[in-house]
Amino acid sequence: MAPSKTKHVNQACVIPGGFTVLSLQFSTDSVAQHKICVKEHRVRAEKTTQRPLDRTLFVLNIPPYCSEGVIKELFSQFGPVQSVELREKPGSFEHSGPKLAKYFTPAQKQGFRVGYIVFQKAISITAVKSHPHDVPLVVSTEQRPVWTGLQKWIHQYKQSFAQPDKLQEAVDTFMQDYDKRKEEEAERQKEQAEEQLEDEEGWVKVTRGKSGTKTRPHSEVSNQKALQKESRKRKRKELMNFYTWQHRNTQKEHIAELRKKFEEDKQRIALLRAQRKFRPY
Amino acid sequence: MKATAKEQMEQSESSHDEEDEGPTRAKRGKPEVVQNGLLRPVTLSRGDLYKPPTADELNQLKEAESLFHCSLLKMQMEELLKEVSLSERRKQLIDSFVQSVTEQLQTVPQTSDMELSDLSWLSGGVKVPFVLVPKAAKGKFHMAPPISVTIIGSYPLGTCTKPGISVDLAVAIPADVLHPKDALNQRYPRKRAIYLAGLAQHLAASPAIGAMRYSCLHGNRLRPILLLSPPGKDSSSFTLRLHACPPPGFFKPSRFHPQRNNIRTDWYTGLGSSQPATSEPPTPHYNSSVLGDMLPSAHLQFLTAVSSQCAAFAEGVALLKVWLRQRELDQGVGCFSGFLGSMLLAYLLSCHRVSNTMTAYQLLRNSLHFLAFNDLTENGITLAKGPDSTAPSLAEFHTAFQVVFVDPSGHLNMCADMTACTYKQVQHEASLSLQFWDDPTVDGFHALLMTPKPMIRTSDHVFQLCELVKLQCCCKKLNLLSELMDHSGNYVLTALPFILSLLQRGLGQRVRLLTHSLTPDPEWPVESDAPKHNTQPPLSFGLLLNPEQAASVLERGPPADSPKAEEFRQLWGSRSELRRFQDGDITEAVVWEGETTCQKRLVPRQLITHLLQLHADIPESCVRYIGGMLDDVIKVGREVCSTGEEESLKVVQSYDDLSRKLWTLEGLPLSITSVQGAHPALRYTQVFPPVPLKLDYSFFDREKLSRSLVPHEVKPCPVYITPIQVICHMEGSGKWPHDRVAIRHIKAAFHISLGELLTQHHHYTCQPSPTHLDVWKDGLVFRIQVAYHREPQVLRESVSPEGLLIVRDNAEAQALEMATMQRPLLTSTLHGLQQLHPCFGAVCRLAKRWLGAQLFSDDITEDTADLLVASLFLQPAPFTPPGSPQVGFLRFLHLLSSFDWRNNPLVVNLNSQLTAADYTEIKNDFIASRESLPVMFMATPNDKKVSIWTKQAPTVQMLQRVVMVAAESLKILEPQLMDTSQIQDVRVVMRPPLDPYDVLIHLSPKQVPLLSQAVDPPHATFSRGILAGRVANTGGALPVIDFNPVTHYLAELRDAFGDLALFFYDPYGGTVIAVLWKPKAFTPLPFKTSQMVARRVEVSGEEAHTVPNVEAILEDFRVMGQGLVKSVEPRTERWVV
Repeated sequence: MAPSKTKHVNQACVIPGGFTVLSLQFSTDSVAQHKICVKEHRVRAEKTTQRPLDRTLFVLNIPPYCSEGVIKELFSQFGPVQSVELREKPGSFEHSGPKLAKYFTPAQKQGFRVGYIVFQKAISITAVKSHPHDVPLVVSTEQRPVWTGLQKWIHQYKQSFAQPDKLQEAVDTFMQDYDKRKEEEAERQKEQAEEQLEDEEGWVKVTRGKSGTKTRPHSEVSNQKALQKESRKRKRKELMNFYTWQHRNTQKEHIAELRKKFEEDKQRIALLRAQRKFRPY
Repeated sequence: MKATAKEQMEQSESSHDEEDEGPTRAKRGKPEVVQNGLLRPVTLSRGDLYKPPTADELNQLKEAESLFHCSLLKMQMEELLKEVSLSERRKQLIDSFVQSVTEQLQTVPQTSDMELSDLSWLSGGVKVPFVLVPKAAKGKFHMAPPISVTIIGSYPLGTCTKPGISVDLAVAIPADVLHPKDALNQRYPRKRAIYLAGLAQHLAASPAIGAMRYSCLHGNRLRPILLLSPPGKDSSSFTLRLHACPPPGFFKPSRFHPQRNNIRTDWYTGLGSSQPATSEPPTPHYNSSVLGDMLPSAHLQFLTAVSSQCAAFAEGVALLKVWLRQRELDQGVGCFSGFLGSMLLAYLLSCHRVSNTMTAYQLLRNSLHFLAFNDLTENGITLAKGPDSTAPSLAEFHTAFQVVFVDPSGHLNMCADMTACTYKQVQHEASLSLQFWDDPTVDGFHALLMTPKPMIRTSDHVFQLCELVKLQCCCKKLNLLSELMDHSGNYVLTALPFILSLLQRGLGQRVRLLTHSLTPDPEWPVESDAPKHNTQPPLSFGLLLNPEQAASVLERGPPADSPKAEEFRQLWGSRSELRRFQDGDITEAVVWEGETTCQKRLVPRQLITHLLQLHADIPESCVRYIGGMLDDVIKVGREVCSTGEEESLKVVQSYDDLSRKLWTLEGLPLSITSVQGAHPALRYTQVFPPVPLKLDYSFFDREKLSRSLVPHEVKPCPVYITPIQVICHMEGSGKWPHDRVAIRHIKAAFHISLGELLTQHHHYTCQPSPTHLDVWKDGLVFRIQVAYHREPQVLRESVSPEGLLIVRDNAEAQALEMATMQRPLLTSTLHGLQQLHPCFGAVCRLAKRWLGAQLFSDDITEDTADLLVASLFLQPAPFTPPGSPQVGFLRFLHLLSSFDWRNNPLVVNLNSQLTAADYTEIKNDFIASRESLPVMFMATPNDKKVSIWTKQAPTVQMLQRVVMVAAESLKILEPQLMDTSQIQDVRVVMRPPLDPYDVLIHLSPKQVPLLSQAVDPPHATFSRGILAGRVANTGGALPVIDFNPVTHYLAELRDAFGDLALFFYDPYGGTVIAVLWKPKAFTPLPFKTSQMVARRVEVSGEEAHTVPNVEAILEDFRVMGQGLVKSVEPRTERWVV
């Protein structure tokens, strides 16, 4: 699409790079507007079904007070929204580990974010991209107030209370789940270990080595420790100051040490002199 | 990013340097090794390092090793001596000026005889430099050219040092001007003064002489001198001091025996009743001042003879002078002058305490050693060898003077004006210096010869006597007429020894040392009269407190029936009363007022004002006590003034109770292995320690399920309740999972069960959460965090795809380790330090209050500040550990502003665990990897290489600013404390300059919960839901904990705009957030999806650039802080949108 530099009334503003610039303001009486950039999501490597290529809109520069819900509401004017995903940085969809209770999900940074909005229909994307530049999206309206500042923090504070029994329940479910996973893991390892045993005729079945083959993972640290131990042992056996040449060497080392110190001191003095640090007044 | 910033900084600094010192640098040549003023590890080639040594080199190395601690000290000494010695150019200037002045003096015109009291011949506005009281004086006087003009003193001896070079010229008055009986009744000193005036009048016409002023030698008004400075641009480079003196051998020295009288009472008082000469009081001070005029050339001869024997004599004296100068002991009345220093060395040489072949450093050390262990107030020393029979004995000198050091002639006590206190101070300094020099962990050279010790930074408490006229009444009250006569009317000097001994008696064991300022030599122009005795600056006294006894409110005297009781009653007057003590004794006692530590610290003040009023008639209004001037900014209570010691103690007691209860809990699946506090309040260093609160429940909303209190939207923000972190380690066991998420869940389960048990057994209100457990106890909130010692290890471990277990350090593990291990350890260590030094906590609090007020709280964190203060106590050289919050704070500012963070690590030797070898190791590691280490590097016994507390902050720029502001604050604060004429408002240093910031966000005071802690607390207060009254120990609804809207707001601002701007805030009740755009914030960047935060796009041709959307950002400041922000003030004059 050719870049259109002229900004006519009721015309979308498209910049080089293919992004369309939309205005967004907090409330109707705000004086300034944020510029958010949108573009259809188009990544070759995307494999997940979470972000269907034709229906996903990629949005940049979403202000911190816009939560998933707010964005969903805001973009519903272009067509029904299926899902909204907000992230700190653009990137591919990631599966996090086992699903955690709300108490245990780590807190997120409350900065500007990028979003992936999945519409139900592909046509909505075009609608967004042709949205005029000078008609701003309004975050907080009277029908749909968005809490910021004090109201928001008081709300957060109220939400922060965890009920002991609910919390306990969450812990219990997680731990049961965890124990089950552990057991499965142990089971698998046991099976693999059994596979490696000799059968009745003395044959061992050799499989292509995967990580699971070793029962206990080797660690870097233990390797190093072993090496250190070895060298220490060797050192202990050595005789010190026994032969004449050893004695001579120690003396030589001593002088070298003094010399080195002397050089260091000289340098230090030169530095201090340069900084005029010897003037006692 | 960080590295580039650093480089820039260095460049800018070095360029700045060059501007400053361009010419000198160019002259000296920049050394090759030092680049950018940064030390680098020394690399010597193998050949250089192991080549066979020459005998010369061996000697040099050996000498450096055995005589000095290291060659560094030797080189430092050499550099220092180079710095203070006079250049050849300067010497030539001096010689030529002396030559021209001598020639001028020879042409003084002869005048005819006239009466001594007739001063009409003096014209041209030149006045006589003498206070002519009483007026009557007999005798004749005429002007005549001097019989000789000779250079005396330090210049010909070669011991003259920079700064303040003065060259002494003795002008001998012709014998016919004087009369042999002139020594009587101030006739000689008057003639001498008039003769000087005559010289001044003659010299005034000469173009070869610049400014002329009068002064007097060591503040002795009987010995005025004429100061001449060379004309033109050299005028400040040195001064020539003209001394008038009698012709050699004019007076018989035996006339000036300390027990003889030379000022008659009837003449002095003007009353006719003449007494027989035998009953007249002796005038030792008057005698020694006349005698002192006769001996300078003899002294010079003596010293020249001695110094020609000892090669390093001049250098030794120079070092001693530098040492004295840094301690403010070398100038003023009764000082330990450079002349005394030379005489002392001569004495040591003559009695073979030092040998002629010693180096300057050894001479200095030995003289300090002599001073430290010899008390000249008890056992005076003499340089006279076989004095004549008329010379007084040492015992006779001791009865007349406090300190005795007799000159080679045997007649003069050179320490006549010195008070015992001054000598004690010299002794104290000497022994302290020796101690530091022997400590290999202290940089002795820097501490002892380079660091100035002004009284305000040395003494724990200082007080001043302001209206010196009042001392006249004091002399009357103490009945000191004969002493006043002896000091020829100088009532300040007369009263001083008596005041000192009175205070010494009264303060007793409370002080380790009582010092006083040495009155500086007055200087006045030749056209004006000699200044009155009261025009000098106020007398300052310094107290070095004894921490155990200084704050005691009870002065226990002898039993009522003992003979000493009368003496005690006499000393304390009406304050002394009979008291019965618990052990059954009935003794005299004095009880001072004081409930809190802050009040008790000022007991010496009550004591001093009482004694001075009672015995010396000095009213309280004249005593300006500088001991607790800074306490105001950390005051806690409204009713009883307190600086938080009592509150901290309450917190610690409550914590101890909680800890005991935790230990005894039964029914936990694993046992508790340790309970440790991790909050500043538990080491007495919280600026405003939490106070127990009673809540007004009607003020709050309630949460629906748990009935906990929550803030109300319309009302002011409720009182802020600090959660006090307590770390509770659980025993290690196979039951702990080996997975980070699972550990977190287990910890949550522990929080729940701990809470249940505490509620069940002790009825505390508890609120568990996944990360902690809040316990509401005694009106305080404790936040217990369960910890598992292997958790950081688990966080570090990960399994590579090959199945290899990899251990990698990461930020998460470090943060956890810091919170659960290092911070509790630091807390307990510093808690111990507080037990040793009772004012440690208060100094920390002042320091942190200052950091907060200057908006540096986020750069110098609480732990860093506490460590910095701890270093002042652990490594006080050249001072003693601070004994009052004020002096500690001043030294904190000095440390911040003067420490060379670039080239030195600050070693905080907690628990004295580090040895000298550790110090060297730390230093070497530091130099080897300077670039990669934090800008502010602090090493502790547990952390020798990383400096964990300063890793995140401050940055180079911020540290530079902190250093600058600290220096500025010190520059304002110290004179303000010491100078009575300045406006007295110490809060000036707590008010940050807001000009350098780009945007100011003003907050609504109603929603700032800590408003009352502000430096200037506003008059309007808000109801924040607390009641007065006794605090319940247990039960009650959970209060609103850790809810501070400003903290939330700041966190959101930093999250959103941290890349563009810095946000500064005073966490103790600030109502303004200062915003500073980062230097590169406004440069346009090419459009990128990852760089599109709060920016707008600008299209130019085919390229799109982004710039910050400033209007929207300012709007966001308002939106994000709705309800909290009052206004946003952009200062667009500083930047362009």
